[in-house]
Amino acid sequence: MASPVPQQVSEWTWELPATGAMRVPGLVYADHKLMELLSDDQSLTQVANVAQLPGILCRSLAMPDIHYGYGFPIGGVAAFGVDDGVVSPGGVGYDINCGCRLMATDLEEKDVKGKMPKLIDQLFRDVPSGVGASGAIAKLSRAGLEEVLVKGAAWAVEHGYGSKDDLQRTEDGGALPGADPEAISDRAYARGLDQVGTLGSGNHFLEVQTVDKVFDAQAAAVYGLREGQITVMVHCGSRGFGYQVCEDNLETMGQASRRYEFDLPDRQLACAPVGSPEGKRYLAAMACAANYAWANRQMIMHLTEQAILHALRLSPKDLNLRLVYDVAHNIAKLETHEVAGSPVKTCVHRKGATRAFAPGRPEVPAEYREVGQPVLIPGDMGTASFVCKGSAEAMRQTFGSTCHGAGRVMSRSQALKRAQGRAIDRELQSAGIVVRAHGRKTLAEEMPEAYKDVERVVAVMDGAGISPRVARLRPLGVVKG
Amino acid sequence: MTGETESSKRWDPDGRDAFYAELDHPADLFLEVWGADLPTLFENALFALYDQLAEITDFGTAHAETIKVEGPSAADALRALLSEALYRFSTGGFVAARAAVSVEQAGSGLQVSAELHGEKADPTRHTLLSEVKAVTYHQLLVVQEPEGGWRATVLFDV
Repeated sequence: MASPVPQQVSEWTWELPATGAMRVPGLVYADHKLMELLSDDQSLTQVANVAQLPGILCRSLAMPDIHYGYGFPIGGVAAFGVDDGVVSPGGVGYDINCGCRLMATDLEEKDVKGKMPKLIDQLFRDVPSGVGASGAIAKLSRAGLEEVLVKGAAWAVEHGYGSKDDLQRTEDGGALPGADPEAISDRAYARGLDQVGTLGSGNHFLEVQTVDKVFDAQAAAVYGLREGQITVMVHCGSRGFGYQVCEDNLETMGQASRRYEFDLPDRQLACAPVGSPEGKRYLAAMACAANYAWANRQMIMHLTEQAILHALRLSPKDLNLRLVYDVAHNIAKLETHEVAGSPVKTCVHRKGATRAFAPGRPEVPAEYREVGQPVLIPGDMGTASFVCKGSAEAMRQTFGSTCHGAGRVMSRSQALKRAQGRAIDRELQSAGIVVRAHGRKTLAEEMPEAYKDVERVVAVMDGAGISPRVARLRPLGVVKG
Repeated sequence: MTGETESSKRWDPDGRDAFYAELDHPADLFLEVWGADLPTLFENALFALYDQLAEITDFGTAHAETIKVEGPSAADALRALLSEALYRFSTGGFVAARAAVSVEQAGSGLQVSAELHGEKADPTRHTLLSEVKAVTYHQLLVVQEPEGGWRATVLFDV
């Protein structure tokens, strides 16, 4: 299919009219500059492909950090009717519940001045990262892992890694209901036993930051954030366990798609009706992987706290590390949304997109409910990350969703070429950012120029009223896998 | 389209340009692989995967593993082969430095057998390069070229 031609319909949105087999139009959030970046890749075709799937509601959506993925674009949001729509593992991705966790402390920038190399070294040692990272805790038994899959972050808290308050401040309380350990293959179990509490590789990171700018003083105060404060952010997901769950279900969904006679423009869009045996099994397995990821980030938070206490010789009371919020950005969720004036049960796919629920929604923790759900948008290695807030506009326009990060603009091989003869770690150091990584290759692939400008991405969603900015976080030190 | 490759020598990463190339993709690893015949194509695809995972010149060849997979098409069989190799790397750390592949017709599909020679990765002696999460179905392609030889494209999630 030819690349669809976007038509600007408002200051921040561009429509892809429904043509050919598209059941609904596409809608892309972007400014002119970001739209130009999309002209020479296939991500808009992917938005149009998703619009062809059975039971898609309203529009196939793309956030401003959209880039070409496999099947669904990264930065894509699509909601399907639970009664007549589909669920697709390709709309979630391999790294199920890849997400972001933000922790606040009582420290200020002056408290870590001159100590960052030591602190980052300690975090690099204590939080396992890199290809195939394992062994943060003793290898689990199968029964132990089954418990993780059902309980999610609560499993970690029960074992002494964190507090009950952390669960209140995690999307879905850190555990999706409906997780069924019976829906998990032996292969996924084998991959999951020794990776709880590990960061992994690629674009995953653990970052020490400072609150650089507050845009919304009221919301920042409600979230417990103030200028000059030290925060810590972790970005990672469900590790090899999640990849295997996706792999297993793509195979069965491929067969199911043929049986249900779905005419799919891309095999990676394999799907099944939400209520079908295949659909239910995927959702039960996906919930296990999502819960694995929440347990993983909860464990990493504990390891992080221990590392900071040790490196800076602080008492837990002086550090006062606490969870601000934890969000998923690769997930499918059963949520009720208003469609054409009536509440409709939907299955919302967010692939590289973050939930951004409005003030007053019961899913938002009580302590944050008056201002809306915190939205965490990680930047790339050398640039800022953002805390934003969910809005009523997001409920109206995007099934309560927004962007998830900067979004890549340069291929890894291009980045490697661009980095030749340069020392990315030293460049970051001269910008005041201490970096530790397993390989120079990861550093080069993840260099800031390889990403879109996160400020611009966030400004689009702020401008559109979807996820107004609350605070900007500037990196001081990064652990990369 | 059936046959087998000779398992005579280990892969030489300096010669990788003759076997595979990285195509442009903003986020994932998109590879194009070539081979004179189907078994060679499959062998070169294995090389491409291991070459991305690790510095394969560091690896010995004392340990042997066999992978047998089937697929309704050459593309499916290739994906299954790479996916199995990736699974064994993820769970047991196995990296191959040479391989011999045989391909046979099985009903309307293909049966692939790969004899891999390598060793288990040891972080103190080996360099691991990139995490590869999965072998996707997106733009998965195996074709016979009009001018002879075979070509495949595979997109890996990284």
